[in-house]
Amino acid sequence: MELITTEILALLFAALRSATPVLAVVLGEIMTQRSGIINLGVEGQMLVGAMTGFAVTATTGDPWLGVLAACSAGMLLSLVHAALVLGCQANQIASGVAVMILGGGLSAFYGTAYVGEKINSFGSFKGAVVAELPVIGEFLAALTPTVLITLVSIPVISVFLYRTIAGLHWRSVGESVGITRNLGHSPVPYQFAAIVFGGMMSGFAGAALAVDYTSNWVEYMTSGRGLVAVGLVIVARWNPWYALPAALLFGVSESLNLRLQSWGVDISPYLLATLPYLIPLIVLMLSFRGLKAGGGGMPKGLKAVFQGN
Amino acid sequence: MTFNTFFRNNSLKFRWLVSGPWVPALIMIVGFVLVTIVFFAINGRAPLNLFIEMVKGGFGDGYSFSETLVKTSPILLTALAIALPARLGLISVGAEGQLHLGALFGTGAVLLAFDQPGWLLMPLMLSGALLGGALWGAIPGLMKTRLGVNETISTLLLNYVGILLVSFVVHGPWKNPDSLGWPATVEFPDGAILPQFFDTRVHMGLVFGIVAAVILHILVTHSRWGLSLQVSRSNPRVGATAGISYEKNVLIVMAIGGLLAGLAGIAEASVIQNRLQDGLATGYGLTGFLVAWLAGQHFLRIIPLSILMGGLMASADSLQLYAQLPKASADILQALLFIIVLAVGGLWYRRSST
Amino acid sequence: MKKVINSLLASTLLAVSVSAAAETKVGYIYVGPKSDYGYNYAQDQGRLYLEENMDDVETLYFENIPENADVQRVMERMIRAGVEVVFPTSYGYLDHALKVAEKYPDVHFAHSGGLKTSDNLMTYFAEIDQAMYLAGIAAGMTTKTDKLGFVAAHPIPQVLRNINAFTRGARSVNPDVTTAVIWTSGWSDPSKESEAASALIDDGADVLTGHVDSPINYVQVAEERGVYSVGYHADASKFAPKGWLTGAIWNWGPMMVDIVKSTQDGTFKPQHLRGDLLTNAAQLSDFGDAVSDETIAEITNRQKMILNGDYQVWEGPIFDQDGAVLVAEGETMTLEETEKMDFLVEGVTGRLR
Repeated sequence: MELITTEILALLFAALRSATPVLAVVLGEIMTQRSGIINLGVEGQMLVGAMTGFAVTATTGDPWLGVLAACSAGMLLSLVHAALVLGCQANQIASGVAVMILGGGLSAFYGTAYVGEKINSFGSFKGAVVAELPVIGEFLAALTPTVLITLVSIPVISVFLYRTIAGLHWRSVGESVGITRNLGHSPVPYQFAAIVFGGMMSGFAGAALAVDYTSNWVEYMTSGRGLVAVGLVIVARWNPWYALPAALLFGVSESLNLRLQSWGVDISPYLLATLPYLIPLIVLMLSFRGLKAGGGGMPKGLKAVFQGN
Repeated sequence: MTFNTFFRNNSLKFRWLVSGPWVPALIMIVGFVLVTIVFFAINGRAPLNLFIEMVKGGFGDGYSFSETLVKTSPILLTALAIALPARLGLISVGAEGQLHLGALFGTGAVLLAFDQPGWLLMPLMLSGALLGGALWGAIPGLMKTRLGVNETISTLLLNYVGILLVSFVVHGPWKNPDSLGWPATVEFPDGAILPQFFDTRVHMGLVFGIVAAVILHILVTHSRWGLSLQVSRSNPRVGATAGISYEKNVLIVMAIGGLLAGLAGIAEASVIQNRLQDGLATGYGLTGFLVAWLAGQHFLRIIPLSILMGGLMASADSLQLYAQLPKASADILQALLFIIVLAVGGLWYRRSST
Repeated sequence: MKKVINSLLASTLLAVSVSAAAETKVGYIYVGPKSDYGYNYAQDQGRLYLEENMDDVETLYFENIPENADVQRVMERMIRAGVEVVFPTSYGYLDHALKVAEKYPDVHFAHSGGLKTSDNLMTYFAEIDQAMYLAGIAAGMTTKTDKLGFVAAHPIPQVLRNINAFTRGARSVNPDVTTAVIWTSGWSDPSKESEAASALIDDGADVLTGHVDSPINYVQVAEERGVYSVGYHADASKFAPKGWLTGAIWNWGPMMVDIVKSTQDGTFKPQHLRGDLLTNAAQLSDFGDAVSDETIAEITNRQKMILNGDYQVWEGPIFDQDGAVLVAEGETMTLEETEKMDFLVEGVTGRLR
């Protein structure tokens, strides 16, 4: 019995570590979509964040500087999306795809010089107090700072969205730009902030992936995590608290894949690898009734985007 | 009649000279060339020379042009796969997955009918591919109409699933036992390889694409069904009262788009790779999306734009060869082009609508 | 008019450059980045050696070229730019190289690790499994849990030979040792490799090694988790100052020089050129601090035996995972047989994918 619980706990914590980058993007995109903007470019933002974070850490030796740089890189790239969508009234999906391709290209281009570099990563909480806890101590010890930061962001974002005036305005922008204007507020600053915040979070997510989780940089290393995150936003019903289980779905599917192999299970790893993509899809299909009935939490401003130009 | 009178009486007709698509298109082209040259300069390369090398790499001689056309075929087909659903207001990004499913089913047909003569094998292979692609288009279509799942998200996710399914068969049940563990199927028999032109790698897929573009253009702009698409898109309820089913149209356009992408997939597997393997198609899906957008979802415009994009992608090696610029430069240039088009397009049409 | 002048200029320049330099242009194609401290790095080191040791050679290289038909275009462009010797360095380029070789019979091709040749295409490789065997001894003598972990890319013979050699080496000094294998199904996928390394360590392995394009990921995870690591392709000890034992590495330079020289003096043979520990094409990298003197002595001893032919890595008895006899006592596998290896030996846990 104990062996099974240990295995399950090991799996869950491995899932949490692998889900952290995705979770960060989901949280950022929730904020963005709450203002009525969808940004598919998060994939590209994640990549520039990963590359910048890795490069800066390699050059300065300080992973925290790397994380900061990664956030800035993500924000800078997101400015492109902001400029196109807010400034040029471009179609949001198209702009997102453009940003995605640009981010991928830029990160691969400038990242070539840094492949193979060794960096000082964060190190885990091995020696800290939490490691002393009875059952979960050893698992908590394996966690790293970016996981913690991401988890802490959840209540912070939740408080902002639901308990502050600014958060109220933010959400109302997402529900109806028209009503927001009638109330005397311009939606643009909120939407701008939303996009840039999303940029920061996806940049951070990239750093979490390259500087923390793998301590490595290879071009296109995110493998669609950013796009999965956009899908997971819907699964999470645009609610930051549900983002955690949604991201864990992804993390579990990922970790399960490799562990099943080492446990001797004979299912093809490729079929298993489809789970992180299929599971969000299935959840989306199942939530149909919920979405139809109560709106499912979707900011109504997004309807126009999703209904096409 | 003086010229002035003529012009005044017909000024509406002449407005196309100024407010037609020519001016913004010109701005976009100039913008792109400038940005490319600046990009090269920033990276310390001789900008003008490199630009010329790039153009030569895509169109400079017979060989380069043939390689450009090789890239054009799948781009053309995937762009059509995106443009058709767009006519109904659907934003599908699923060409990459549909391409892979087409390759998958087509390969399956080949493996099943391996020893059949060419006149039987080829149609079987093509039918398989069309089926596979159509399936991967119809599924998100159904998900949208029956379950309200947004097609952009579903097609994006299904892309990854499609690619993984190909990896699955190639590493597993369809792996060539003689390849010593290397994940790929057996080589396709000659009867399953699409005919090529002269001594190049340019193949029938290109012809299929061009024909499809023309047919789609005629259908959508001049047929009753094409009209029904327009009605369905702008006002599904009105369309329904006229007997046009939005749901049915969704399925039709997604399936047709899917089968076009599927065709691209089997063409790549059959002619270019001669087998099914990982890395079948690198990013044609996204490039097709880009081209469809550049063309304003206009089928005929997709043809020349695909050739240009094919040239850009094929010339990427020149960038590595002559300037040691990483392959990723081509992606950056593609993205910059897209951004310029979106920016100029957005600003221009916003201006003229106020 | 301008066109005529331009083309005249171009052709004059071309003629001048061709007649001026009797340089041999050699082109390399890598599947990944040359700074991966792994496979591509090792091939690139060979290229640098070639440049340093031959005055009349000019090299150029392409990185990050995937193993699909796109590589044909890259090869053709190289050839059209004057390259006369092409080194397609990744396994999956073989069929494409053969196609291009057919089209350009005057160009010579040297493919790394392939098992097919044609009139103008040869293959080169080294029996690095000998070095992996020795590295296995280091692992077998240093492990405390008797569990080794192997992060593997594709189940092709090259990789299987390494898994098996490593395991046999370890078990030759420590019969209780087992090697667990996890397949990442790709030459390079950092997060998968890290995840696989973690999973192996979670299951008890305290020495990690692998055969993927870059050892960086599993070596770093091993160091982070406080276990030992054995490298492959190149010396990645800087990533694991505490846990590094040793590694099996390539030394391509001299072979490449021989190959290029053979194309220049007409002695090029479409053969399977193989180097080994004896010819120094495969080597054992420096030992880390974690290796005991006793271990070093044992390895040095065994290495001597291999070098003077007293011991073959693939001599019988060899048992498969279920204990059945594959190679009887007194027999030895031939080179052809090892290059087609399709089994895992006793002591390896984890199935063949």
